Amino acid sequence: MAATTFHQASGTLPSHGYFNKSSLHHKANNASIRLITNAFRVDIGLSRSGIYYSKKRNFGVIEATSSHTTVVNPVSTPLSKNNNGLNKKSNEAALILIRHGESLWNEKNLFTGCVDVPLSKKGVEEAIAAGKRISNIPVDLIYTSALIRAQMTAMLAMTEHRRKKVPIIMHNESEQAKAWSQIFSEETKKQCIPVVTAWQLNERMYGELQGLNKQETADRYGKEQVHVWRRSYDTPPPNGESLEMCAERAVAYFKEQIEPQLLSGKNVMIAAHGNSLRSIIMYLDKLTSEEVISLELSTGIPMLYISKEGEFIRRGSPAAPTEAGVYAYTKNLAKYRQKLDEMVN
Amino acid sequence: MAAAFHQAICGNQLHGYNDSLSSCDELRNFAMMPRFSCFGTSKIPLNKAKCMYNHSKVFVVRASVSDSIVSSLDSSDHDSWKMTDESALILLRHGESMWNEKNLFTGCVDVPLTNKGVEEAIEAGKRIRNIPIDLIYTSALVRSQMTAMLALTQHCCEKVPIFMHNETEQATLWSQIYSEDTKRQSIPVIKAWQLNERMYGDLQGLNKQQTAERFGKEQVYKWRRSYYVRPPNGESLEMCLERAVSYFKEQIEPQLLAGRHLMVVAHANSLRSIIMYLDKLTPQEVINLELSTGVPMLYIYKNGEFTRRGSPAAPAEASVYSYTWNLALYRQMFDQMSP
Repeated sequence: MAATTFHQASGTLPSHGYFNKSSLHHKANNASIRLITNAFRVDIGLSRSGIYYSKKRNFGVIEATSSHTTVVNPVSTPLSKNNNGLNKKSNEAALILIRHGESLWNEKNLFTGCVDVPLSKKGVEEAIAAGKRISNIPVDLIYTSALIRAQMTAMLAMTEHRRKKVPIIMHNESEQAKAWSQIFSEETKKQCIPVVTAWQLNERMYGELQGLNKQETADRYGKEQVHVWRRSYDTPPPNGESLEMCAERAVAYFKEQIEPQLLSGKNVMIAAHGNSLRSIIMYLDKLTSEEVISLELSTGIPMLYISKEGEFIRRGSPAAPTEAGVYAYTKNLAKYRQKLDEMVN
Repeated sequence: MAAAFHQAICGNQLHGYNDSLSSCDELRNFAMMPRFSCFGTSKIPLNKAKCMYNHSKVFVVRASVSDSIVSSLDSSDHDSWKMTDESALILLRHGESMWNEKNLFTGCVDVPLTNKGVEEAIEAGKRIRNIPIDLIYTSALVRSQMTAMLALTQHCCEKVPIFMHNETEQATLWSQIYSEDTKRQSIPVIKAWQLNERMYGDLQGLNKQQTAERFGKEQVYKWRRSYYVRPPNGESLEMCLERAVSYFKEQIEPQLLAGRHLMVVAHANSLRSIIMYLDKLTPQEVINLELSTGVPMLYIYKNGEFTRRGSPAAPAEASVYSYTWNLALYRQMFDQMSP
């Protein structure tokens, strides 16, 4: 359902890969060595730890301490003279995952699930801070869930983006909605980032626990039972989804809708929820069901992956502007960043 | 086309409105003083008239979740601010969007707020932090939804706005809340395309300067500032008004009549349309009406009449703003609550 309508919508909004600009080719070929140096032009120092961990598997790469950089070393990537359309030839694309920040029910310690609760003040700040971290990463396409807290997170984050493209939410709930949201300037469309909302990226549906406070629930059902519902892989709360069920619809959506975009070289951002993102990470990192249970994704901290020739490489979390951290951009990302620097100056 | 949309989004009917009128009369026969309950500290006798609304199906809202939330507004004595004959209506126009910044015609293209628009929403929230709100209406566009949610982060009452979903059976089912207590602390938020900005047709996405060059300044002026003229394949102000005001009369006004306090967050043209209805303006007058962005406009609904009460003062403003007696009492409650 979503597929055809989105393709229709995205057909009207061609996203030109940033790297197609001829001016960039010229600069890239002449200044390649300088750019490599720029990739490491970040402050050396302690970086944030505890961003992303799993008890069963060593993700030491992501717990970036001062002595670690992330996986791929751009210097070792051979520079090819034919490497003009950087994005297309190498078919490399950035994938940003952002888990929304604090919601008003988080604050009140209530089970939320698919109840459409908005962000708290703190959640708003987290979204903006997340935006600062990804302000230099190219974004061609945004996917969010059908819930306002993920949508707001995406929109707030993009207010910080240096490229200044405008996210536009796609509407296809009816013929009228589609017709009414049409854009009639090609130039404007080029400066747009389509935003697709998908219920498949919603938080795990928590059934009859939705709206209950955690104490109430422990009283009603017993602590052990609640623990099983919250932390098992395949046991759903009454009339709710298990993590397995959530993973099924989230990963199916990712494979069908999002992955093809990445394979075609589009840079994608996904703003979603704890469980839908864990599900996707389970797929990207090939985790087992035991591993995914203990996977925690911090709120408001964007996680970057590079999609390359069908493989997903985790690149950790881009540093915040005020952080003294080591974050190594890939060559392509470094060039994109430099281009933004030139735009501003 | 419009009918299908209408069915999808607002499939509710208004029943037996007239049945409630007799109970309204009886209400007025009770003591002149409004009765109210503070949150959890009910020292004043409960409003006996409330039991007349308990099982009434007169005032329906969108989806089953909101049904149960809104009906619990009646049955709960502690958490809803009931004034016997007066309800508050806040109109709020969203702030700067990313296309405002770029000077592009926006219309119904779903463009989000800029940093400035975000700040405007938060400031607006501070102005209305002491006005009771039971129900919120927004358009189907994210800039008005964000404005509403950002404004509510500033509200004193600590109730939580919850967006209603009824686009499919699954959406309705998945968004259910299973705690009565939690429902009482919720403010349903209803999205309605009828509150969208005027649809600008073939001008959507065009730059204002370019459009003036392409079509001529006079033509553009006519499209933007006349009542009857529509941009190519777009809506005239009159058309926008028709769908916005019908929605207001059918869905929103009955809620006010039931004594609920509402906030409507929308766009320049949909709000002007509503104000034209509330203030009984002529087409000539409405064309010249400007509603500031991010500045909430308060109306009091009483005995079927709408009285404009201007714009509540920002906390840091030195200004005179007279609350109605009921609103002053509501505000005082918060002053007493905070340390």
